[in-house]
Amino acid sequence: MNPKKMTYKEAVAEIDEILEKIEQEELDVDELSEKVKRVSVLIRFCKEKLHKTGAEVENILKEMEE
Amino acid sequence: MESKHLTLSDLNLLIKDTFDEKFPGLVWVKAEIGELTVNRNGHCYLELVDTDPQSNQVIARARATIWSYSFRMLKPYFETTTGQSFANGLKILVSVKIEFHPLFGLSLNIRDIDPAYTMGDLALKRKEIILRLQQDGIFDMNKDLELPLVPQRIAVISSPTAAGLQDFLHQLANNPSRIYFYTCLFPAAMQGAETAGSVIQALEQVYEQETSFDVVVVIRGGGSQLDLASFDHYELAYHVAQFPIPVITGIGHDKDETIVDLVAHTKMKTPTAVAEFLISGAEAFEQRLLETELYCSELLSNRMKKEKEWLQQTVIRLKQGVRQLVKDEEHQFNMTAFRIKNSVPSFLHRHDNRFVQHRHRLQLAGLRTLGDQYHFLRRRGADLQSLTCQLLEKRKSNIMRAQQGIRGSLNDKLKFEQSRLAVTDEKIRLVDPVQVLKRGYSLTYQSGKLVRSVNDLHEGDQLVTRLYDGDINSKISNFKAHESKKNDL
Repeated sequence: MNPKKMTYKEAVAEIDEILEKIEQEELDVDELSEKVKRVSVLIRFCKEKLHKTGAEVENILKEMEE
Repeated sequence: MESKHLTLSDLNLLIKDTFDEKFPGLVWVKAEIGELTVNRNGHCYLELVDTDPQSNQVIARARATIWSYSFRMLKPYFETTTGQSFANGLKILVSVKIEFHPLFGLSLNIRDIDPAYTMGDLALKRKEIILRLQQDGIFDMNKDLELPLVPQRIAVISSPTAAGLQDFLHQLANNPSRIYFYTCLFPAAMQGAETAGSVIQALEQVYEQETSFDVVVVIRGGGSQLDLASFDHYELAYHVAQFPIPVITGIGHDKDETIVDLVAHTKMKTPTAVAEFLISGAEAFEQRLLETELYCSELLSNRMKKEKEWLQQTVIRLKQGVRQLVKDEEHQFNMTAFRIKNSVPSFLHRHDNRFVQHRHRLQLAGLRTLGDQYHFLRRRGADLQSLTCQLLEKRKSNIMRAQQGIRGSLNDKLKFEQSRLAVTDEKIRLVDPVQVLKRGYSLTYQSGKLVRSVNDLHEGDQLVTRLYDGDINSKISNFKAHESKKNDL
């Protein structure tokens, strides 16, 4: 799923799911690198959203004024 | 007869006397404040009512007054004790002097008030409201909602002028972790009789944009501790309890919790506390992200370490395997080399014989081919020679024919040119000046110049006349121009 449209909850759920798979060593090395990248993308998304979701929030604002 | 009839004044005085006699002192009365006004002088005028609890109908009514000197003391006493402003709708227990004025009629003059009664009444009302909400089955509905991980889009219900609102917004906007909060204000009255209605209205506005918000914050900052009854309100609590987004209160008091606080998802004491709650929640989430990041990289490096160890093990095993393999192959190779060494001489001998045979056959075939080629070339050479001789002959006779043709045409041309020369010679002979002079013409010169006109001459000029065979010197004695030529000059 495109992180831009995720909620924190969905992002955290996906992160937890991946971490569990890594813990259980269910992933081979190729998958591992891909999944770790995904975790990093999700965490970055959450951080960005925390500090400024910018255009997205502006859009909400616009929608409310309409 | 006249003495038997009372005047109205007499009657009213009589009634007054009866009241004074019947109620000589003060009386404690329970009543509800129906209306309340305070005039410029600080006197308080009230209408006290009694309502039937079943039908809610007013069943008794009386005017009452609190003179300013009493009101100045009673009002603060009542308000600080109950936490309620002295206003319409409250049930009070008051000590009154019953007065009857002949002109103004019955009036109760309030001398004292017992706040404990009002508090008891309010507590009872609260209990009733709570019970009713519980019976409705909605008391915990808002509490049961899940607060989003980071409530970042906040609908704020407050009075736009409240100091608490500014503190709240400032604190959110300037949080040290620089977390972004989006807030939208839905204005509502936070004090006075219209509070509950206007907060409900604001909630309805938020509800229309339900998906745009994570949380609703109801805040009322600073100011008076009064008017909490506005939040002990059944209708308002009913709306808050059933609101589909978590409601956080910061109504700004620290005594009892209001019913709205009780049904809200989370109750904070002040707007600042609400802001702190939201910020710390987001910070905790960010902290969790950081920890997750660390944990993930730790997991990754552990896993990579394991994989690396496995790889090293594998390399060692591979090296050993390869060494063994090389050894085996070397042995095999040596065996093969030995066999080849043995078999090569006989092989070479066999092939040597075959080589000699092949050389002989090749020699024969080569000679044959060379002979064929030689004859062929000889034939082609002879053909070429005879062809060349024929061509040469043909060219030679062509040239001879051309020579004769040229010679004939040159002779013709010579004869023609000779005859043309003779004619031209004759023509030249005829125009030769010597020939002309021979035919009797002469030339006349004056001072070496040929004379062409008499106009060039004067009398006495020396003339030389040239004839065919000599010159004559003469002198002009007289001359005359021809008439016909005069005009031409």
